Amino acid sequence: MLSFLLWLPVLGASIIGFFPGKIESARLRQITTIFAVIILGWTIWLLTQFNLSNSGWQFSEYLPWAEPIGLSYSLAVDGLSLPLVALNGLLTMIAIYSIGENVERPRLYYSLILLINAGITGALVAQNLLLFVIFYELELIPFYLMIAIWGGEKRGYASIKFLLYTAVSGLLILAAFLGISFLNGATSFDYNIITTQRLSLNTQLILLTVLLIGFGIKIPLVPLHTWLPDAYTEASSAVAILLGGILAKLGTYGLIRFGLQLFPEAWSIVAPGLAVIGTVSVLYGALSAIAQKDIKRMVAYSSIGHMGYILVATAAGTQLSILGAVTQMIAHGLILALLFHLVGIVERKVGTRDLDVLNGLMNPIRGLPLTSALLIMAGMASAGIPGLVGFVAEFMIFQGSFSTFPIPTLLCIIASGLTAVYFVILLNRTCFGKLDNKLAYYPTVLRSESIPAFVLTGIILFLGIQPNWLLRWIEPTTDLLAVNSERSSVISYQLTNKSLTLLSGK
Amino acid sequence: MVQTPIKQPTAKLPPSTHQFADVIHRLEAGRSMLPDTPENLMQIIGIYKAYAVPMDFYWRDLLYIAERVFLEPLPFFKYFLPKEYLDLHNHYAGDDADLRIWRGEATAHPELLEFMQKGKTFKMPKLLHHLWHDRINMEFAEACMQAMLWHGRDMGWGKFDAYLDSDEYKANADRAIKAYFKYNPVMLGLYKIFPDMFLEQVRQLSYYSNLGLFWEVMAPVFFEMSDIYDEGGFKGVPDAMNFLVNGIFAVAGRPIYHHVYIRGECYEIIPKSKGFMWLYEAALPYVEAVFYRTAPFRGTKSYNAQAREVPNNQKDFHYGILYADVFPVGTAGIPPTLLMDDMYHFLPDYLKDYYRQHCRGEDDMLIQLGITFQRSMYNVTSAVIQALRQALLYPLDDPNPEHLMANRQFFEAQMDRFKRPEARLRDIQNQDYR
Repeated sequence: MLSFLLWLPVLGASIIGFFPGKIESARLRQITTIFAVIILGWTIWLLTQFNLSNSGWQFSEYLPWAEPIGLSYSLAVDGLSLPLVALNGLLTMIAIYSIGENVERPRLYYSLILLINAGITGALVAQNLLLFVIFYELELIPFYLMIAIWGGEKRGYASIKFLLYTAVSGLLILAAFLGISFLNGATSFDYNIITTQRLSLNTQLILLTVLLIGFGIKIPLVPLHTWLPDAYTEASSAVAILLGGILAKLGTYGLIRFGLQLFPEAWSIVAPGLAVIGTVSVLYGALSAIAQKDIKRMVAYSSIGHMGYILVATAAGTQLSILGAVTQMIAHGLILALLFHLVGIVERKVGTRDLDVLNGLMNPIRGLPLTSALLIMAGMASAGIPGLVGFVAEFMIFQGSFSTFPIPTLLCIIASGLTAVYFVILLNRTCFGKLDNKLAYYPTVLRSESIPAFVLTGIILFLGIQPNWLLRWIEPTTDLLAVNSERSSVISYQLTNKSLTLLSGK
Repeated sequence: MVQTPIKQPTAKLPPSTHQFADVIHRLEAGRSMLPDTPENLMQIIGIYKAYAVPMDFYWRDLLYIAERVFLEPLPFFKYFLPKEYLDLHNHYAGDDADLRIWRGEATAHPELLEFMQKGKTFKMPKLLHHLWHDRINMEFAEACMQAMLWHGRDMGWGKFDAYLDSDEYKANADRAIKAYFKYNPVMLGLYKIFPDMFLEQVRQLSYYSNLGLFWEVMAPVFFEMSDIYDEGGFKGVPDAMNFLVNGIFAVAGRPIYHHVYIRGECYEIIPKSKGFMWLYEAALPYVEAVFYRTAPFRGTKSYNAQAREVPNNQKDFHYGILYADVFPVGTAGIPPTLLMDDMYHFLPDYLKDYYRQHCRGEDDMLIQLGITFQRSMYNVTSAVIQALRQALLYPLDDPNPEHLMANRQFFEAQMDRFKRPEARLRDIQNQDYR
């Protein structure tokens, strides 16, 4: 079942890329949409078939592949990966409609979108460390091409920077995985075989640190974030949606899957440091966003801040905080996609993203009133206004993390107030004020451009009012993760105390 | 066919150095401030037609309020025009006209009657149309009247406003007030306590009458212009402007008065015998108050008087249609949105087709027609400027260079009023301003 999800987009990409004859851009978009709809439909079907009382792996598939190097074609999902797979399917649909119908080199464009979908799905459903790394690295190529070909003015610089950073991220993760395997003497990289319990705490700490840097680049965390503002800003809005909405989530997914789950003891030791890094990311992202003049860059920096919440919550490692962290991954993916989609519309219609130029887009006749209204909605969701999915996630993160890390949590709460500040700046300058008659000859926003925003807004509202429809898939898995983490924390605490007692000679 | 030859002065003046020199040279050649293009001609004539239909309602209702509703304490039904006023004969249209400007009927325009029946929704009782706001926006007409009242005497034209403070006027008003409330002791008691309040209301009603009588002339003028254009009559914008100039002079002497009908008896608050003339007591004050000045604090843009965003002197106000941003958000002065909404119902097909080809087509037709209206009012203002020049100064083809220089100084002084950054004179020179 998961193989279908993985190979259908590859098949779609091949058909679109290599089908003989000339096909119009609009027709290619229709074909891509058909594949995306089937993928999303299949994912929804998987969600309905998912056993909510089972916290373990489901829909497992296994095929031996290159056994001498420990690589197998092993797939499965749990409550951590399946919601992200669904998010991937949804955002692929949104991305298809986030760019005008007449995109240049449409065959390559739509093929790459489907390949990105396949790469991310592969990384999320992989049950083998090497298989994960293969997909993790593979999706860099389509992303690089999409930024380099359809990006903005500085696309060359941004795409190379993105490629270098994320390639280093992949290498570090590969190094950590090889270290885990070799030091364990394992013959396979399958998740169910790999364990770190036989490794010394110091070795675990070294390997975890390498992993943290690798995934920290991907998320990204401060100070490994410098590729993000350039990549998000220079990428087209469709690519920015996929970058921020789902690719960055591979970083936080990796943190939980391979950091928290694979190194529970070492994790409990580095957790306070991670909480500090997460808090710094949150504050840095918010303050930097306030200083921006480019609305896309502002949204990009806001993303750094919101990803910081996930790190703080994961570091706290409580049931509620981990649940909040995974919920935030989904919430942030939805909200960021909505923001980038709307910013893309503004840029296409008005021709600028400059806060000093934009004004009065709320004008009911010559402005972009619907886009502006949805932008206000997205800003509210990002700022964590109750009734929207962003609030649910942030509330769980704050409540779940406060008992473990009270000061970082309080600082994060303050930073969530700063989120409101920069969104008020954005909305006030962009949507309100007087639309200048001399400039206001913007094209109408087409219905096909508005529909993705309506879909995302509907989901954000629905999950904000009825969050159980999201949490029920996640909760069993995160509960199990939290129990394992707490057990390891106790062992780690006992070991540390024992060592101290021995050292003190008592 | 109405086509006035362009005047070519025999004496030559050096070119003007004014920032609007091109426009001044155009005025000196007997043309309009609005560039002479077929597109401009089509737009302004189309909009005159769309303006004339609601105007046919405005003038009838203004007179109805001034003459019949009068001091009704709760005038809920003042916009419910009775048949008598719909059938009221326009003095400048129909077979029995004093001076037949429009060749059409003297009673209410058929398109207006049709709209009053169905509105933009469907046929339903008049009250429901009113409550649904599916009707002609008399609020616009009242805003224009209030602008004339408020700027009143300060405008420098005529003696109408000064007469409203005369003892004669007060005595006439007093007679009418007492007659109107003859069987209403409460209101008579209030009148005893607050006489000035009632008197001020009557002054306002006199302006209702003034504006009603002004628009009674303008509606047939615009209808006739539309018909002439449809027959292929006008060859350019100057022809349209000159038709207006000729019209202004033809009806300049039309009396401006205020009569009130109470229980079948006519009370002459401002008698025709006072000799107030249409040009000086209605047309010129209207252009000054409504086209140039009006007032701030309308629409959603607020002006901060403490920050000197509002001029100290009323004469420096600049919130009229010649300066207005016709966007519904952030506008100022008399809200053009109300008029735009009214004109929208009566646009000729050729103008609708034209708007559909530009900007957002149907979606922003209100804005496009608002800007067309602005263009058309620049043409009307050009006609007024030319009429004033003709009345006060010299012919355009005068052989005396000193006379031509006097004309130029007059034109330059008029153009000085458009030096303000808000003025749209620069914008209307460009066809892409929509």
